[in-house]
Amino acid sequence: MAEWTECMNFGITIARQASKVILEAFRAKKDVMLKSSPADLVTETDQRVEKMLISRIRERYPTHKFIGEESVAAGEKLELTDSPTWIIDPIDGTVNFVHRFPFVAISIAFAVNKQTEFGIVYSCVEDKMYRAQRGGGAFVNDVPLHTSGQEDITKSLVVTEIGAERDCLALCTMTTNIMNLLAIPIQGIRAVGTAAVDMVLVATGGADAYYHIGMHCWDIAASALIVTEAGGVVLDTDGSEFDMMSRKVIAASSMPVAKRIAQVVRAFPCTRDDEDPARVNNGGHCISSGL
Amino acid sequence: MTSTEIKCWGECMDVAVQIAHKAGKVVQEAVKQEKRVSSKSTPTDLVTEADQQVEDLIISTLREKFPSHRFIGEESSAAGEKCILTDEPTWIIDPIDGTCNFVHSFPMVAVSIGFAVKKELEFGVIYHCFDGTLYTARRGHGAFCNGTPIQVSKEKDISKALILTEIGAKRDPATLEIFSGNMLKLLSAPAHGVRIIGSSTLALCHIATGAAEAYYQYGLHCWDIAAAAVIIREAGGCVIDTSGEPWDGCFR
Repeated sequence: MAEWTECMNFGITIARQASKVILEAFRAKKDVMLKSSPADLVTETDQRVEKMLISRIRERYPTHKFIGEESVAAGEKLELTDSPTWIIDPIDGTVNFVHRFPFVAISIAFAVNKQTEFGIVYSCVEDKMYRAQRGGGAFVNDVPLHTSGQEDITKSLVVTEIGAERDCLALCTMTTNIMNLLAIPIQGIRAVGTAAVDMVLVATGGADAYYHIGMHCWDIAASALIVTEAGGVVLDTDGSEFDMMSRKVIAASSMPVAKRIAQVVRAFPCTRDDEDPARVNNGGHCISSGL
Repeated sequence: MTSTEIKCWGECMDVAVQIAHKAGKVVQEAVKQEKRVSSKSTPTDLVTEADQQVEDLIISTLREKFPSHRFIGEESSAAGEKCILTDEPTWIIDPIDGTCNFVHSFPMVAVSIGFAVKKELEFGVIYHCFDGTLYTARRGHGAFCNGTPIQVSKEKDISKALILTEIGAKRDPATLEIFSGNMLKLLSAPAHGVRIIGSSTLALCHIATGAAEAYYQYGLHCWDIAAAAVIIREAGGCVIDTSGEPWDGCFR
């Protein structure tokens, strides 16, 4: 819809503004805090960038709603209504950001009537602006994107992540999934450290599928639309319809590849994103500086 | 080293940089074309015509300039040439590191050129074919990324480490079980994360720039690591065998 095009273009503009803040902080010393696990990191930059994005959007669109990773971590209710809603991950790949591993993305999705209308993923260090508007195709730096079309799992390159959980069940599930896929055999596994960038690599055709368990809606809302607008499919890991709040996703070049992955991967239990109104972050504590 | 040798290896490195750029451009064009893919040791150990063409280009150019030098190349070795490192000046070449990535157009592919004399690695040049980044190092002269000095991370605590690895081409159950076990142990440290990018040379360069703290792999060949080893050491890092013993250049 034309009215959402204006919103998308505004989203692209503020993503570029936010990336300047991120790239300056990328090279600097960082104070790092923990959220839910020793590998679930957050920095002051995550929080500052999210505040910046939300305040600029709110100024332009005062009636719109927000779901932001750091706002939710600070105790805000996570609820997707029919209202126009911006779903924001200010820095997807915070571990990468802390280490200066060069895959860090701003992810901005926009939903109306619970349907994603556009998605923006800006891979800041690479300067790659991925975007898609529902029904309008997918692009990176204005070049059209197409998934690979691969239907044969044995010729597939699959992207995934281990995630931030470090309990035995989650770790064992994630490593077992990887081993079971490799045994098919698939051609390889890749993990670059950000769900948003992993998924848009499927949209580019550079990978044939992505799956993950345990990520959040803000990690994948934008990239899921980019994949489908590039000709791919998104499903739940059990093969059922994709639900961005379920914390499970398969994104693939084709339905046969997606379904085959669904046959193999197992999920560990995750609380749905929209199921815990009393979600509270402990506030974290500073664990290191100098990184 | 004599002053003549010092000058000569410097000149060799300049040529290596030029040929890495040239070969990298050939790879950049080839990645857009349809690829003819076959497999080597396993169905997931891929090779393309481009691997062979690029290696031929590099070796023929170097042989013309340095006719007395020796060569160890991935595709020459696959074709049956002996992989023996003597005291002679020897170029150790991986024409396309990340062939699986190349086949898929997954954007991490590199040309890797190492150089050894008297079995000592003298310099390394690695060219990222997708984004044009050039990593170089010469023994005793530091390591660089696009001409800017680079240094490894100062992190010493494994629980704050980002670790890179690769799966490799083997898919038998025993290998996969070892791979899984290693990953689980490191993640349980608990390391900050594990990354897999599909090109061992580029992964090793991320160690040299400080973007990750460690890399481990079984099944690497000397052409995968010769250039990167110089770059990592000159960036202040270390290279050892997975047993903890000193690293033997061609020992997998």
